[in-house]
Amino acid sequence: MNSSWQREIKAVFLKELNSELRTKSGLITASLFSVVTVVALAYAAYNTSLSGTIAAGLIWVSILFATIVSIPRIFLIEEELGTMDILRLTARPHSIFWGKSLFSLAQSIVTAFLLAGMFVAFVGQRIYDPTLFLVSIFGGSVCLSSAVTLCGSLVAQAANRSALAAAIAVPLLLPVVTMAVGATRGSLGAGFHQQAVNCALGLIAYAIASQAIGPGLFALVWKS
Amino acid sequence: MTHQTVADRFGYTRVVLRVEGLGKRFGDRWLFRELTFEVSQGQSLVVLGPNGSGKSTLLRTLSGLLPPTEGKVHISGDPRLSLGVSSIEMALYPQLTVLEHLEFVASLRDCDPRSDELIARIGLEHARDQVTSKLSTGMKARVKLAMSIQANPKVLILDEPGAALDDKGRELVASIAREQIQRGSLILATNDPSERRLATHELFLAA
Repeated sequence: MNSSWQREIKAVFLKELNSELRTKSGLITASLFSVVTVVALAYAAYNTSLSGTIAAGLIWVSILFATIVSIPRIFLIEEELGTMDILRLTARPHSIFWGKSLFSLAQSIVTAFLLAGMFVAFVGQRIYDPTLFLVSIFGGSVCLSSAVTLCGSLVAQAANRSALAAAIAVPLLLPVVTMAVGATRGSLGAGFHQQAVNCALGLIAYAIASQAIGPGLFALVWKS
Repeated sequence: MTHQTVADRFGYTRVVLRVEGLGKRFGDRWLFRELTFEVSQGQSLVVLGPNGSGKSTLLRTLSGLLPPTEGKVHISGDPRLSLGVSSIEMALYPQLTVLEHLEFVASLRDCDPRSDELIARIGLEHARDQVTSKLSTGMKARVKLAMSIQANPKVLILDEPGAALDDKGRELVASIAREQIQRGSLILATNDPSERRLATHELFLAA
């Protein structure tokens, strides 16, 4: 990647970061959602020992919704504000996608680790394989970010966004959540360990594939 | 929009923008159709017409912001550098400052930001570090003008540039337009008689 691409991607990333630090909209939304969810789950599970399977499911449902409420808007907001014209006139689609994708990745990883950490602390969930737990949270959040960013980028310019978003999101998110739950469940001592490792590897493969395909798909939509 | 092999396409002429059979339709209604023209260096084209005749749509199509229903637009060079656009419809990032806008756009275009020079030119030295959500409509219009001329474009497209501006702002538009005609070409949509005087050619769109 030459310096011209790097400069463009960095400019888009820093623009997103500056806007987010000044409005704090995504950060506040994700943080409040995470705190409320974890406190509610901890209250419901008070004096109860959750199985690894249930705990993994609850963690990933919470992370999924925390991600969905904050990330998809990074493309949509450009259309709503009317600022997409600036990008169309001055930027190349790949650098827009990469810049925004990196920002949503950072946001997603922070949200996922914050939420998972709070869940473990508040619910008192025991982790049997910390490395696998970290890999599953990291890999799952990268995949979620990729899928949600791709979905947001593809539907932002469409007239009927909601229906299209649902149609695209289900096939993109279902495998991610399934693999993430499988990997996290193994790290919490439920299910077969090898199966969990396979799920973690699947997450890594999904993350690479979506990051490779995403910019090309976005460029196609952008040009049309 | 294509921008390859410009030297081959345009040879030794100084044509900077070529439009071939351009048409735009919304539903069953054609706003314009079979438009074919060239704009060369030193020329200025003023697009006239009543409200709803398609002036802004034509300018957005020439800019590549709207895909044409039929026909093609060729712009000499890489449009990111050779095309400057300022319009009422274009919005600024509400959380970025005037200075950050110029630096952001320059990074994307890979050109010299000329921030100090441009901010002085548009008379916003006092507001350079203000976020644009706190600027007036006229001040925002000036920022858009600065962004549009930042890369010294060959083609400058202005959609009703004086609409939100005071007298000084209109003088700024006139001076930018005159400079642009020296450097490249200007395409302007307006209903303002004073801006109409800048034209070397006129295109009238009927409602």
